[in-house]
Amino acid sequence: MNKLGNALYEIHHMDMLAAKDQWVNRLHPLVKLVLTIVFLTVTMSFQKYDLTGLLRMGIYPIVLFIVGEISFCDSIRRLRIVLPLVCFVGLFNPIFDRQVIGYIGTVPLTAGMLSMVTLMIKGIYSVLAAYLLIATTSIEKICYALRLLHIPAILVTQVLLTYRYVTVLLEEANRMTQAYSLRAPNQKGVHFKVWGTLAGQLLLRSMDRANEVYESMTLRGYRGEFYYTAKEPCKAKDWLYLGVWLALFAVLKVTG
Amino acid sequence: MHMADALVAPAVAATMYVCSGGVAGFSVKKVRLESDPKKIPVMGVMGAFVFAAQMINFTIPGTGSSGHLCGGMMLTALLGPYAAFLTMIGVLLIQCLLFADGGLLALGCNIWNMAFYGCFLGYFLFWRPMMKKGMSRGKIVGASILGCVVTLQLGAFSVALETLASGITDLPFSVFVATMQPIHLVIGLVEGLITAAVLLFVYEARPEMLSCSEERAKSRFSFKKTIAILGIAALVIGGAVSLAASSNPDGLEWSMERLTGSTELENDGTGAHAAAEEIQEKTALLPDYGFKNSDSTFGTSFSGIAGSAVVLIVCVGACYAFRFFKKKKS
Amino acid sequence: MSHIHINFEHVNYSYEKTVPILQDITFTAHENDSIGLIGANGVGKSTLLKLLVGLNPDYEGSIRVEEMPVVKEMLPKVREKIGYVFQDSDSQLFMSTVFEDVAFAPRNYGLPEEEVEKRVNHALKQIHIEHLRDKQIYKMSGGEKKMASIATILAMTPDIILMDEPSIALDPRNRRSLIHILNDFEHLKIIASHDLDMILETCSRVILMSGGCIVCDGDAKEILTNQELLEENGLELPFCLQKPVW
Repeated sequence: MNKLGNALYEIHHMDMLAAKDQWVNRLHPLVKLVLTIVFLTVTMSFQKYDLTGLLRMGIYPIVLFIVGEISFCDSIRRLRIVLPLVCFVGLFNPIFDRQVIGYIGTVPLTAGMLSMVTLMIKGIYSVLAAYLLIATTSIEKICYALRLLHIPAILVTQVLLTYRYVTVLLEEANRMTQAYSLRAPNQKGVHFKVWGTLAGQLLLRSMDRANEVYESMTLRGYRGEFYYTAKEPCKAKDWLYLGVWLALFAVLKVTG
Repeated sequence: MHMADALVAPAVAATMYVCSGGVAGFSVKKVRLESDPKKIPVMGVMGAFVFAAQMINFTIPGTGSSGHLCGGMMLTALLGPYAAFLTMIGVLLIQCLLFADGGLLALGCNIWNMAFYGCFLGYFLFWRPMMKKGMSRGKIVGASILGCVVTLQLGAFSVALETLASGITDLPFSVFVATMQPIHLVIGLVEGLITAAVLLFVYEARPEMLSCSEERAKSRFSFKKTIAILGIAALVIGGAVSLAASSNPDGLEWSMERLTGSTELENDGTGAHAAAEEIQEKTALLPDYGFKNSDSTFGTSFSGIAGSAVVLIVCVGACYAFRFFKKKKS
Repeated sequence: MSHIHINFEHVNYSYEKTVPILQDITFTAHENDSIGLIGANGVGKSTLLKLLVGLNPDYEGSIRVEEMPVVKEMLPKVREKIGYVFQDSDSQLFMSTVFEDVAFAPRNYGLPEEEVEKRVNHALKQIHIEHLRDKQIYKMSGGEKKMASIATILAMTPDIILMDEPSIALDPRNRRSLIHILNDFEHLKIIASHDLDMILETCSRVILMSGGCIVCDGDAKEILTNQELLEENGLELPFCLQKPVW
């Protein structure tokens, strides 16, 4: 039941981090988005036995954690969602790939173990990279960057609206399930008899809200188009930041 | 079932981005053509609804566990496939950013595995054909369950395919699939039931909200056309993925090896243990496969790791220095 | 007579042609009028306000805003003149930050960006919430959201403002500043509320509704002090006029 409350807490927490007035937070969102994607691409393109190369890529999250003054512990919690699948897939590598490639003392080290470790490191890096992006950049700014990348306005607007109402509806769902559990103290979840009614009520309310939002929009001159304004241009320091990292990634990739 | 970044090779991720992007572009065009200004706020709020509703735990009778709502199928019944698809993209993007559910790189895969199957197949294969001659409670339940089960099966299969094409795991494809499919059959059933319950509630309370077949049937394409388009899409993806895999150093060849290795296994092998042994034999037969120059790699590894560690330590020091001086200045 | 006025003539309205909501509503409102719309739950106050901005089409009779009939073709023009504050601020505020939300209307009316900026800043200044300019809406309190909602319509520089239960969910201090804001607005305003004390402080005229009809239309003090009339229609005297029971 607490999932809803946790989600709300998480959103507020991320937002608080993104709102900090810091060097990394002030960088242009497009630069940060592009860098995150490049980092992920480069990281994932390392071969499955290339542990050294992967380890060296760790420089990016480490630097950002320190410079951005972001708590490493908070980000660890986010691993719990991704790691199960990655582990499930990765754990079989030592079983199926038993070629011995060396010894630590007398313990044989197999290729499967190596590839399992690289897979897990990849999983961890990807979560950290996404966390570093969202902890220093608000969703609105990411959406702005998406607009700059010519993602259709309809889609970006839709993301913004969803984000705006996620908290409203999470709170509503939270109230409903709390009211439910107060009167059904011994149940872990929602009993199947009220599956439809509970979620359905929430759905109808959401639809009514959507109607009201629409009315509020039309009353203020909305005719099917949202207008966005160009905010900040990329500054020299943004380009420099992007350039330095890209160069570093290139070096790490080529020499790795 | 969210695909993780770590399980996709960049080439596979890019391919899936292109596929999902294509469908998204098409959907944007379709939604624009409908030129219903109300659609945008409705999509936004419904996206938030799916987000919230997926976090409600629904107890599964007779077990201690709980199920969740299937967003794609439900949205497609309410908004039609195009708007539903775009809405799901929004939901998946926010989930991936805020909750690390899936990843930025794997987003293209996730959109395909969850939004595309749920919204488009769910609509064109089940919802629309079944609702063509009027709605009824039974048909809503049937369409929801069938839709959820089939789209989830396809989604799970795609996860396995994408992982295979990425050449990331030694887990035989057949074993992966054999684990994924039954689990998702159960999940699909439960999700289908929950979705059916919600749609039934809407049907009783406000039937006009459900996307009705008659008004849409005229301009939308036919079943045959849909199948044809899907077939082409499958071919394109298949081709692109295998291309991607073959450009991957230990890509296609490797996957085929594993695939054939494990299919043989299914014929004569008995269980995971046998599978493991068989594979080991295979690898023994092909000593040069997969791990070229293993000795030298391992040798360089140690010095490499040591070198990297030094660099990292220097780097950490520099960062702290940067932070220190930054603080001092301000 | 100034150009700002509203005319209702024999307006009837019903949901799906079967359930009558409003019956034979006739009244005229002029510039500088401040009208309190009162009545028990479900007498059609909100419906009446929504009719005025064309959110409920298909009514019978005639509604005119500044001599423009409220019909589909004229709606964009009519809506430019009217600011409508919803009861639920979360529905009213759909953008991410206060600035974006307040700027929504001016941008839709095609104003250049400098002008938009000016309008937004002016609107925020009018109700003293400049400090909320860049705040995310979901992080704001109920009172802050209400103020921001009012700012969004002030940025349209409307001739007329309509408010649906504005003082609900406000703490006493926010309610007080709301009253000041309402009293500062010079043009025509119509406020639907159960908060009769606020009506007493902000309105000079009151329209009392019951069962979809106008029961009484007159001076605010006269109606709000008439205990018998109010109680007949499911209301009570404003608290400030009630005798303490202890």
